[in-house]
Amino acid sequence: MQKSIPMMMILPSLALAIGIIGYPILDLAFTATQEVSRFGQLRGFVGWDNFAEVFGDPLFWESLWRTGIWTFAVVVGTLGISMPVAMILNDDFYGRGLARVIIMLPWAISLTMTAVVWRWALNGRSGLLNATLMQAGLIDQPIEWLATAGTAFTVEILVGILVSIPFTTTILLGGLSAMPQDAYEAAVVDGASGWHQFRYITLPLMRPFINIAIVLNVIYVFNSLPIIWVMTEGGPANGTDILVTYLYKLAFRFGQLGKAAAISLIMFGVLLIFTMLYVALVSRNDTDAAPDQEDEADDHV
Amino acid sequence: MTMSKLTRSVLYWLLLSPLVVVILFPFGVMFVTAVRPRDELFVYPPTWGFSDFRWENFSEMWVKTNFGGALMNSLYVSISATAIALLLSIPAAYAMSRYRFAGKGAYRIFLLMTQMMSPIVLVLGLFRLMMSLGLVNDLNSLVITYAAFNMAFTIWMLQSYFNSIPRDLEEAAWMDGASHLTSLVRIFLPLAVPAMVVTAIFTFINSWNEFVLALTMMRSSDDFTLPVQIYAQVAGRYQVEWHHVMAGTVLATVPVAIVFSWLQRYLIRGMALGAVK
Amino acid sequence: MTYSLRTSTAAIALGLGVFGLAPAALAQTVVDFTVAEYSSKTGPYFQEVATAFEAANPDIKINIEVVPWDTLLQRLTTDVAGGSAPDISIIGTRWLLDFASQGIAEPIDGYLTPEFKGTFIDTFMSPGIIDGKIMGLPVAASARAMMVNMDLYEQAGATPPTTWDELYEASKKIAALPDTFAFGLQGKEIETDAYFYYNLWTHGGDILNADGTSGLNSEAAITAAKLYKQMIDEGLTQPSPTNYNREDIFNLFKQGKVGTIFTFPMLIPQIKEEAPDLKYQILPFPEAGAKATYGVTDTLMMFADSDAKEAAWKFIEFAYKDEFREKFDLGEGFLPVTKNVAALEHFTTDPDVAGFAAGLPYAKFAPVIANWEEIADVTVRTMQQIYLGEVTPEDGLAAAAAEINKIRGL
Repeated sequence: MQKSIPMMMILPSLALAIGIIGYPILDLAFTATQEVSRFGQLRGFVGWDNFAEVFGDPLFWESLWRTGIWTFAVVVGTLGISMPVAMILNDDFYGRGLARVIIMLPWAISLTMTAVVWRWALNGRSGLLNATLMQAGLIDQPIEWLATAGTAFTVEILVGILVSIPFTTTILLGGLSAMPQDAYEAAVVDGASGWHQFRYITLPLMRPFINIAIVLNVIYVFNSLPIIWVMTEGGPANGTDILVTYLYKLAFRFGQLGKAAAISLIMFGVLLIFTMLYVALVSRNDTDAAPDQEDEADDHV
Repeated sequence: MTMSKLTRSVLYWLLLSPLVVVILFPFGVMFVTAVRPRDELFVYPPTWGFSDFRWENFSEMWVKTNFGGALMNSLYVSISATAIALLLSIPAAYAMSRYRFAGKGAYRIFLLMTQMMSPIVLVLGLFRLMMSLGLVNDLNSLVITYAAFNMAFTIWMLQSYFNSIPRDLEEAAWMDGASHLTSLVRIFLPLAVPAMVVTAIFTFINSWNEFVLALTMMRSSDDFTLPVQIYAQVAGRYQVEWHHVMAGTVLATVPVAIVFSWLQRYLIRGMALGAVK
Repeated sequence: MTYSLRTSTAAIALGLGVFGLAPAALAQTVVDFTVAEYSSKTGPYFQEVATAFEAANPDIKINIEVVPWDTLLQRLTTDVAGGSAPDISIIGTRWLLDFASQGIAEPIDGYLTPEFKGTFIDTFMSPGIIDGKIMGLPVAASARAMMVNMDLYEQAGATPPTTWDELYEASKKIAALPDTFAFGLQGKEIETDAYFYYNLWTHGGDILNADGTSGLNSEAAITAAKLYKQMIDEGLTQPSPTNYNREDIFNLFKQGKVGTIFTFPMLIPQIKEEAPDLKYQILPFPEAGAKATYGVTDTLMMFADSDAKEAAWKFIEFAYKDEFREKFDLGEGFLPVTKNVAALEHFTTDPDVAGFAAGLPYAKFAPVIANWEEIADVTVRTMQQIYLGEVTPEDGLAAAAAEINKIRGL
């Protein structure tokens, strides 16, 4: 009886997750090995043909590479900004409540609308970004931000960082609030400097929170469609295509559902491998915040 | 810190200001575009100024885009999805936090895996699933889908909070003869309320802003949720009514922003629990 | 909640029907109609037609779903894949071949009476004919033309051109005006390839050669591409064309900043509303060996799996009544697809309409071939690379032609 209580407690959530998410994944796996009509009608088993086509497609490899850059840049950028911001917001100062609300604001708009607004603001001639920069004397000609892949991708990464900050800051703030004060007091007594405190007390204690922020962010950013899609649709000339935008075009414009399913599975595989490697790498250094002795051995990440 | 609070405040605000400016910039753009008269939308050179506060843009937009209806749809979906997610997550998170059982690690990895597939990739499969359940064009399809997709996050969050609630309190209650259930309800839950509120708000916002699934499942414009309804004003028309679009976005954002100002209070209270020993 | 009201009403109706208590009016056929959204007027217009139809036919209910164009193909794909396709839908004619070859589209020869068929203008009827069968009716049509800003031309002392050389010279003069662009060149998103086809065709080239291979590496194509690139390099176009989609170019024109663009008739109502003082003129595309225009139609298609075909057809015939077509064409700015509406005074005397319709005898349409979206994407990508200077026109077009031939299996 004792053993089955926890099982019963997780059962409803397990059932819902398997039902709603498991079925489409299986459907996808099945589709990836079939020749599929543009409307999802399965035409026959073709084994690894779809995958072979994918691996032979130069656009796939370019998109894969670019996805790597996109994910790395956004996650690292977000973390780099969120950490100091969280530390500031953790401290007591005038207007802290207001600052917290402002930092969270990007989360209030749906990602698609954020992208639409930024695209509108980035318009070469009638966009307010150029207007503001020109008025501030920083540039004297309007910049066509989304015209070339280089600038467009950079801008998209920056927007990606901006919208990821609220989430990451919240997680880090949670970790910071849970910091035991005694460790700091002891360090101050021992004469440790600010930087020392950060490096040897804060950072190690924050590790579990930083880890979860990295893993979740990598997953979300890797799969994120709206920003790039709304701003450039992966162009110009596929120059800002990441795997998920390329996938969208394959599935819903060109009607190549078999190939699209294959890419989806590859993306899933990449994320799975990353997560497992990362979790394995950090699990040795981890201690959970739980005071519960029994669970410490099991609670990782 | 040896600085006075005032000095500290000034310093911090200075450090935060670039970020604050960049964050507020799109909101400024939205607002200015929303209150402009229509013929000032494309002036060159573009300016922040506008001749007139056209509050009518908001009322026009409300009527033209069936904002009220979409708002109700969004509210229904978000609240229901949050309720279901919480209902299912709380026992699961409690189990993960308080018990040791076989398959716990696997369950955790499974939850993480459910996050790895972007909904876009699963859209066809999900649609077929909803078809077989007869739920297409039914807002409830979104409700259960959002609940399912948010679960990994809610369970993780709740578990982290629950871990920080000391077991001794419950154990003391057991010593005193209270049953497990009583201690759960009387002692644990009240302490867990801030955690549940924070988690609920995260789930609510994720559901409120979700776009791709809503676009696929909802078929008639009467049943659109807010993000889809606003996007429909932009997508593929020969001529976009930008002032209406921005007005709609502003209105869609305000309730969430208000919710945030509550959230940050709970954030402190909830997180601080962890520091209580 | 609308849906629950509908569900419970349907449930009651079903229940009553089962017990034979339902009055005849409740035993309704429902026709699902997916409407592609052109503007904010589209939805209300079709709703009006539906309501009028329902009043005359109480046993049929028309269920209209308005879908934005950008998501229409995704929506229809999901619908068909999920088994919930509508009964009729507006689609882009460029998709018709795929729908027909997969057995999704229902041929309508059997429903089309000779009188009804005769009301349509042949030029617009023909893109919907695949393998000799009529797979759909034209529901919206446009031809393209050149539009010039007369004020800017006068100011620059240039005359509206009839050939590409004249356009080039005139552009040099207009570009000299302060804060003005001579030629609006689209380089982003949908119909970037079309903007190039206008150039290609008037140089005597073609999208496909007679043997079906790609015509992109022909002499005409290379000349055309080089001309565009030259105009960009010499500052005769707006800067960075790859940042400007169709709407952006047209907005620039409405602001009075551009001398010449290629456009469609749907721009006219916009100009009248937003820039009534703009002095524009409609002219045929400049020539360099050939006359041409681009004809585009959208098709009203019936789905093969529909279980309400009779009722749907009844609605289609009703919706094509002259009064409704007139309202639609005038409101959205399309060219008429039916002879009666084309004969109306507005369409015969209005100089703007005449300007667009003048090109119809030389209208070319997008080729009706499989994988057209993918092929168009290759062209768009190549043009963008050329505009950005990433490849030379010769290399880019040669690579594009090779890729297209590969897609076509030739």
